[in-house]
Amino acid sequence: MLRTFTLKFLRLVLVVLVVTFITFGLTKLQPGDPVSKIIPFGTAQQKAALTQDLGLNEPVYQQYGKWLGNFLQGDFGKYYDSKQSVNTVIKTSLPVSLELMLYAQFFALLIAIPLGVTTAYRAGSKYDRGANATMFALLALPNFVVALLLAIYVGAKWQLLPTQSNVIPFPLNPLDNWTYMLMPVVALTLGQIAVYMRLLRSDMIATLQEDFITTAKAKGIPTRRILWRHALRPSSLTLLTVAGLNVGALIGGAIVVENVFGVPGLGKRITEAILAKQYPALQSYVAIIAILYVTVNFAIDILYSVLDPRIRNARSVA
Amino acid sequence: MRDPLPDHGEELIHLMHDSEARSDVPADSVTQHFAAVSAGTVKAKKKGLTIGAWIAVGWMTLLILAAILAPVLPIPDPINDANPLKAAQGPTLNHIFGLDGNGRDVFSRIIWGARNSLFIAFAAVITGFIIGGALGLISGYFKGRVGGVLGALTDILLAFPQLVLALAVVSFLGRTVFNVTMALAIVSIPILARITRASTLSWSERDFVTAARAQGAGHIRTMLREILPNVLPAMLSIALLGIAVAIVAEASLSLVGAGVKPDVTTWGNVIFSGQAYLREAPSMVLFPSMVIFFTVYALNYLGDVLRATFDVRESAL
Repeated sequence: MLRTFTLKFLRLVLVVLVVTFITFGLTKLQPGDPVSKIIPFGTAQQKAALTQDLGLNEPVYQQYGKWLGNFLQGDFGKYYDSKQSVNTVIKTSLPVSLELMLYAQFFALLIAIPLGVTTAYRAGSKYDRGANATMFALLALPNFVVALLLAIYVGAKWQLLPTQSNVIPFPLNPLDNWTYMLMPVVALTLGQIAVYMRLLRSDMIATLQEDFITTAKAKGIPTRRILWRHALRPSSLTLLTVAGLNVGALIGGAIVVENVFGVPGLGKRITEAILAKQYPALQSYVAIIAILYVTVNFAIDILYSVLDPRIRNARSVA
Repeated sequence: MRDPLPDHGEELIHLMHDSEARSDVPADSVTQHFAAVSAGTVKAKKKGLTIGAWIAVGWMTLLILAAILAPVLPIPDPINDANPLKAAQGPTLNHIFGLDGNGRDVFSRIIWGARNSLFIAFAAVITGFIIGGALGLISGYFKGRVGGVLGALTDILLAFPQLVLALAVVSFLGRTVFNVTMALAIVSIPILARITRASTLSWSERDFVTAARAQGAGHIRTMLREILPNVLPAMLSIALLGIAVAIVAEASLSLVGAGVKPDVTTWGNVIFSGQAYLREAPSMVLFPSMVIFFTVYALNYLGDVLRATFDVRESAL
């Protein structure tokens, strides 16, 4: 167990290192000299000074080492024009994005799990076919389409909710926070429901055919208890894995949705940094996202063995 | 527990199950599949296509034809035929999808957008298909060190949130059609590599592969002639889904202002330009969104049909 844990952890560190290094390499690959992009009308002297200041005349690996050293010490760099610290931007924007993604993940599972369980139990029925068809359509609905539809009707036409968000931190005013968060959350949630529901449904159908379910039935255990206690747990493993892997899609979705609604989260900051060519800041944002993603999946790997004791040893081989 | 002395019968059963036994998939996925068949989620093999599949094929054919024929179709130019006096007009008889913020015909822009968006999506996935397929085939066939290293590489690429990767590539290298295509290709490589590897792993254990090797077939011949034809359906079904994902990704990139430059008409750019007119002319956003929805739906549907026909297991993805 400890060996598996260590191996997985080492792999996590390796992935983060490679991802950040690739991002770093990419910023160097871009055509043209970054300094002339930052101060296009600067004198040669000013440009030389800035090059020196940004450490651009050092070899790439040294620059990377420097950035990594600072990053590990919690110094995420600063914007080169305003000299604003990336740390403060992250402090205000990351919680907003996390809130958005957590809500989306929570509501997606909250709706998908009962749907998946009940459709599996009544597989083939009208209810099941209807739910399946709806979910298949939802799967084809990109989250920006949902976001734009909401913005057009709920926001612009009926004016029920504000389209341009100015997210108020949850603890201060839950109601205001909700009015701003509701549309972004819905836009992000819909597609996820479909993914999770379809997955859980097919796993549940398989589980319901297992012998231990027949045994439980024979013992006279009520159907509800069989479904929710006996069948759901072994069926939820794939769901959990995909929920973890899906964090990547969720991050991508959050970037789009935050831009459509103007939510001041990390996704919005990333696109701003990209458009303004704020590479040091971008570097740190990408690293933070990669760490977030890899850590979530690491945690799920560990959770796996808690949910299903049989996996504890089997998976260490894989 | 296995019987320590397998008699002939068990060997037979084992042989029969060999087609299902896959080293990379937990055993119960087979049960899952059969359960899904009996429950009606996955259709049992059936000859011919359903009506739904024909509609999907029809839609895609129509779209691809329109995209190819865009220059000869009697539609206004998507960039230059602007009529600022009639900017942001709703649908009329002359302009069935309305006019955009510069007074350009939205219907024409969607068709020209299909030309660029479909080109980007197909080119990206075909590139990913070839490179990812080759990587997956090699890493699945040579299991040892080569497979391990290539497998780890794909895992690293997969660990990158995809849109962030595409965003980074495009913004660093420039907002051109080529760069967006390459960015989406890079994103699709690990996905295709993974499915090909998983599928190759199981097929390369089969007896006919051993037989081919025993008859003196070289590694390359075995991979291309024996394994590839069996792996291909799985790759194709993922590639169809991949094209859908690439179409959405292109639009997403444009929407956050980091896609192809606005002077190239893509579906993403058509939607992006309509975003400022949500109140006055929602049609500018609604129509291209609908076209994207239908296209993604059709591709998902065809991917599903292919998967059901060739019995590709979802848990192997």
